Amino acid sequence: MLTYRPRWVAAPASLLLSTVATGISAQEEETAIPGVPLGFVYESERVPPIAIPPITGPEWAPQVQGILARDLDYSDRFFVMKSLPDGLQGEGVQYLLWDEFGADWLLTGNIENSAGGAVLDVELHDIVFGSVQARGRFPLPPPGEPGFRMAVHRVSDAVVEWATGDPGMAASRITFAMKPFGNPDSQELYIVDSDGEGLQRLTWDDDLAISPAWSPGGDRIAYTSYKSDLPKIYELDLVTGQERVVDADGAGTNFFPAYHPDGDRIAFTVMGTEADGIYSYDLERDCCRSRLPGAHDRDFTPTYSHDGEQIAFLSNRFGITTPQILTMPSSGGEADLVSPYRFGQGGYFADPDWSPVSSKIAFVGGIVDKRVYNEYDIFVADTETGDSRLVQLTSEGNNEDPSWAPDGRHIVFKSERSVGHGIFIIDTATGRTRTLVANVDAKDTDWSPLLAGDWVAGGVRRGAPAGRR
Amino acid sequence: MSNSRLVLAALATVLVVGACAPEPPPEPPAPTGPTAEELERMRQDSIRRAEEAAAAERDRQEELARQRMERAAEAARQSLRETVYFDYDESAIRSDTEQRLRAKLDILRNNPGVQLRLEGHADERGTSEYNIALGNERAESVMQFFTGFGLDANRFSSVSYGEERPAAQGSTEAAWAQNRRVEFVVTAGGDDIGR
Repeated sequence: MLTYRPRWVAAPASLLLSTVATGISAQEEETAIPGVPLGFVYESERVPPIAIPPITGPEWAPQVQGILARDLDYSDRFFVMKSLPDGLQGEGVQYLLWDEFGADWLLTGNIENSAGGAVLDVELHDIVFGSVQARGRFPLPPPGEPGFRMAVHRVSDAVVEWATGDPGMAASRITFAMKPFGNPDSQELYIVDSDGEGLQRLTWDDDLAISPAWSPGGDRIAYTSYKSDLPKIYELDLVTGQERVVDADGAGTNFFPAYHPDGDRIAFTVMGTEADGIYSYDLERDCCRSRLPGAHDRDFTPTYSHDGEQIAFLSNRFGITTPQILTMPSSGGEADLVSPYRFGQGGYFADPDWSPVSSKIAFVGGIVDKRVYNEYDIFVADTETGDSRLVQLTSEGNNEDPSWAPDGRHIVFKSERSVGHGIFIIDTATGRTRTLVANVDAKDTDWSPLLAGDWVAGGVRRGAPAGRR
Repeated sequence: MSNSRLVLAALATVLVVGACAPEPPPEPPAPTGPTAEELERMRQDSIRRAEEAAAAERDRQEELARQRMERAAEAARQSLRETVYFDYDESAIRSDTEQRLRAKLDILRNNPGVQLRLEGHADERGTSEYNIALGNERAESVMQFFTGFGLDANRFSSVSYGEERPAAQGSTEAAWAQNRRVEFVVTAGGDDIGR
């Protein structure tokens, strides 16, 4: 049974910060979704400046430097300083002078290139305290080798963790669905690095592929494909390039896979049977499809909480015109409303994605006035606090398919904006938005966990025509 | 004929007869009309022609009937395949959709071997995941219409394409209206319609 717990009680309007110049007043936003305080609650905290003098070493050292500097910029944890004074560089760290210059952090590095391979030594200096915060040695494959960029991204993530104690997200990828150029009848899966480099096509099915999802280990991608007549879920092993059908003999059609954090179970939506709804499946034993107790035949798109204890999902239990976001125990049970549903007052909420590190859920919300123009926005609710705060992250164009980064701070989504269509990344703390892939009609974006390997380079050639990637 | 001519004719006969030795009277000349056999053959022929004509007419009528049946079967198949449309964000059966579904209902009742796949679609508005759910809801709605009239649910399967396979391109109300639909694929028994 569903509990109609009134999570979204009105918060004092003074709590609402409208730090982004959107032209929408808080009052107008309140009327847009009745009874629900919305707000752009971006923190205006100071972003500490970091100085990164040139990394010494072989002639390709500047390439490493460039990747590191951009990653740290994209992490939104640092302000990466430009035009460093020559006098401060060289032997020894002059903390007082760097402090004078305005840096909070200093990252120095050197690459030793020997017969055994290259090793990058980096040191992160805390300028304010005048000491080395942390140092590390990282083996690097030569540039051009598969895995080179990912190895540098892992150094960036280490720096983020040294400075903040939080995980980074540079060593990760985003998968999405897109129609290949010149073939509007097909939709294939692609992947791209978190910094927008290394765009690769994953599938060559010449059919409709949707809703890809990374496994918790980052070595597999499950997705829905229509290639065998009826939609089924396929699991692509990125290491071997092998693929298998999940629940091949199950009745009906299967959609929207979501991995349990243990990687051994998968949840998906079954349609077209006597008992539709959300099912779980044992991937390890390749069996045992079972409907979640308490599931409703109008529940769709499951996403697991970081501890695997709960799932969030889209439900049309309240009627097809008012889809809402609900949570329930992942083993089934009572459902709980997350989105601000009020009977008779509409509201459209869809595409939930549970943060891999926190109690936050990102989803799409449609405000009546904007829905007319097919414009939706990304929202975040915190299931832990449950105190009425619904954070609206976007305000321009049409925004769908949010997916959390492994740092639990950034969100990737697809957007159609006046500047163009594409895949965007927003920092939920500052609201800073960047384009990941420009000028594409992509959809169903899903952000990987931190990747321990560079499997894709070896695995994805499956079915690719000879001579193409 | 005048008497004088009769006399002349009689004289001539006497003269001819008198000129020759008495001979047996000549065989009567062969009859110039059809023989009895021929008459019989002709009679048979005419019967055969009449029968052939009747058979041809029968064939022609049968062919016409067959064509009519074929046209009716084709019309039935077309009617079965005819797409039905829905309102924005709705899966409710509207009146024009109900008319088309009733036409299909009759055909399905008369052809119990026919099975259908219901393919639900949505327009591009809303998230693509929600639209898969919406397309599914529309296909279910059509299936419930049929089963509500007593048809066996096993005759139907459903699949949703969401917004992924638009019938009309473009972001206009006209295109959207074309895309909010359920399409029908005959998966069994299509060739038996009208037999």
